[in-house]
Amino acid sequence: MIKTYEQRRRRAGLLFVAPGLILLVAILGFPIVDSLLLSLQRVQLTGGSVSQNWVGPENFQRLFADPVFWKAAVNTAYFSVMEVILVTLASLGVALLLNHPMGRSGLFRVLLIVPWAIAPVANAVLWKWILNANYGVLNAILKSLGVIEYNQVWLGTPFSALNFLLIVDVWKSVPFVALLMLAGLQRVPQSLYRAAYMDGAGPLQNFLYVTLPNMRGILAIAIILQTIWSLRVFDLVFVLTHGGPADATVILNFLAYRVTFNFLDLGYGSAIANIIFVLTFLLATIYVWLLWPRQPGGTR
Amino acid sequence: MFNSLNRRNFLRVATAAGASASLPAFWAREARAQDATLNVFAPLPPDPAPPGAAQFSLEAFSKWKAEHAATVNYETLAWPQLHDRMATAFASGSSPWDITYNCGWVPEFQSFLSPYADNLPKALVDDLPPSSFSTVTVDGKRYGSVFTLSLLTLFYNKGQLNDAGFKEPPKNWDEFKAYSKELTRDGRYGLVLNYGDPAGIGGTASYWMTFLQQAGGTMYGEDGLPVFNGAEGVDALQMMVDLMPYTDPGAISYGSINDATNVLLSGRASMMMNWPFMWNAANDPNQSQIVGKMASAVLPAGPAGTASIDGTDAWTITKSSKSQEKAQELIEFYLDADVQKRQVLDTGWLPIRLSVLADPEVQAKAPNAAVVLEQAKHPYDSFVTADYNEVTVAVGTEVQKALQGQKTAAQAIADAHDAVTAIVKRRG
Repeated sequence: MIKTYEQRRRRAGLLFVAPGLILLVAILGFPIVDSLLLSLQRVQLTGGSVSQNWVGPENFQRLFADPVFWKAAVNTAYFSVMEVILVTLASLGVALLLNHPMGRSGLFRVLLIVPWAIAPVANAVLWKWILNANYGVLNAILKSLGVIEYNQVWLGTPFSALNFLLIVDVWKSVPFVALLMLAGLQRVPQSLYRAAYMDGAGPLQNFLYVTLPNMRGILAIAIILQTIWSLRVFDLVFVLTHGGPADATVILNFLAYRVTFNFLDLGYGSAIANIIFVLTFLLATIYVWLLWPRQPGGTR
Repeated sequence: MFNSLNRRNFLRVATAAGASASLPAFWAREARAQDATLNVFAPLPPDPAPPGAAQFSLEAFSKWKAEHAATVNYETLAWPQLHDRMATAFASGSSPWDITYNCGWVPEFQSFLSPYADNLPKALVDDLPPSSFSTVTVDGKRYGSVFTLSLLTLFYNKGQLNDAGFKEPPKNWDEFKAYSKELTRDGRYGLVLNYGDPAGIGGTASYWMTFLQQAGGTMYGEDGLPVFNGAEGVDALQMMVDLMPYTDPGAISYGSINDATNVLLSGRASMMMNWPFMWNAANDPNQSQIVGKMASAVLPAGPAGTASIDGTDAWTITKSSKSQEKAQELIEFYLDADVQKRQVLDTGWLPIRLSVLADPEVQAKAPNAAVVLEQAKHPYDSFVTADYNEVTVAVGTEVQKALQGQKTAAQAIADAHDAVTAIVKRRG
């Protein structure tokens, strides 16, 4: 029984929020639950429809015995770790340059945003031509500079193909993260730099003991966001390498797509997708935990 | 009417524009309510596309639509995206098409297709090669009609072969290797292929299947289990490995046949295995730097003779179509002799009708037709099964590993055999 004003107020609030919550559950909850259920079934296209048979954890057991899955997992881990390191370092460097008095022109920021603004598939096609073994601009430039004697097949070996995918994705990701860090840099109180100056700190000490500690929150957000995004890379693999050569660039997201839509093994594909979901969810949880406002005197 | 540009006025103008844009479509739909509408899912040119999607037989197509009171809507996609689009539509139960293009996927999608080809007129069926139905027949029922005779044959730059002292194309594996080696000079390569995508017809695995048949091997035994882990399978892959030093190194990164075709048409390679459409492209000055220099021949023979694979480009009718009869009539129109003739003359994709293939005008415009017909006298099995994509990815990936020197041919074939056995057993 509702007794107090506060309780009535809360009930009214819940009623107002309910439509939004129902919509969220329908849009987010249903696909998640359905995908989980799908991963516990064997799904086949037979008799003009989709037949589903309950197989329990069989798809997950098969997944852990599948060498292609493990190869994709290793590729994904390498791709994510390297991408986060490279994007964070490059973005921090770019942000520092943009924060310098000489780099504050709006033109630099417009130029910076171009790679991020290009549509993902257009970006992939652009790089496909840049890296083409016969007509690619990269080969032409390096040959004209005398760096290489013969055209190189940049996407032709497992090591080279995976790392070029990485470079292309870093190129696309740096602008946004750099702008994020620039915002963080501009929030560092100038009084701290003046105090450090009075204490005789040089540029390196300023960076290490003033800038970095004050950027900690932004850096954490950038790292977690970039990790989540790197787990979602698909377009580059699809357009540039299709997972080749010899599965060298198959990453989990592409594998989930290939198994689901190319092999029509919907249950197994869902199992892979759910692994990606769990990884992303864990990272998102850390992200929320980091961003959650501190309670006075409390911890987080 | 509006004194200033503000958000409210902007929204008013946008709403009015949207309404006026949608009205004509609404009235047009009413006006066409009496017509049958056929939705056709087809590849984008330069892959084999029907009249209206490709630029041929347009007048005849308009006439057919008027006479049959039918509207035909095309949904076209680049070839590599066709399978997955169909898979998504069928799996979600929302296939919007009456007619779909198919390419080796008939066994996979069979339960969503109608076996309409059993009802084609006898005169038409008699004019088609009986073997053209092999890849569209499941459990004795014909689910599709192949509409272009599309086998891999050898295309070569006769100017470059002449310069190297070769008056004829290579006839067997030994000559193929010798020619490729000799032609690798002056910054160009003897051979170019697309080994970048392991999957599907025209992918890495299918090239190996071609060599496999030339070596006298086959993919499956009578029990449906793979039987290629033998001397023939290894010899086929070893042949591909032996050709690698003389193959454009970019081949391993070329995901589509168009990438490899561009290399041949620019004169940077001397030979390739390709589909018949190559002929028109090679002789089109807008696309080719080797106009007049292209020739074609049957593929070099292995220990068991020459062999190829079938492109299996076919039209199928979906089970969900509400206009089954009209859809079949449209396919019969696509297979009409005059349309088939324009198909080869205007697009380069050969007809499937034997009478059109024998037409002197066709043979003059597409001299490669005779070569394809000759190639068709030899084996050209594409080994299409319900899990063709999964099988070809498994085989193609192992072939790629051997081509890159990560595995020996024997090890790669043994691993591919194990992988395909697991796939077939899982299928049950």
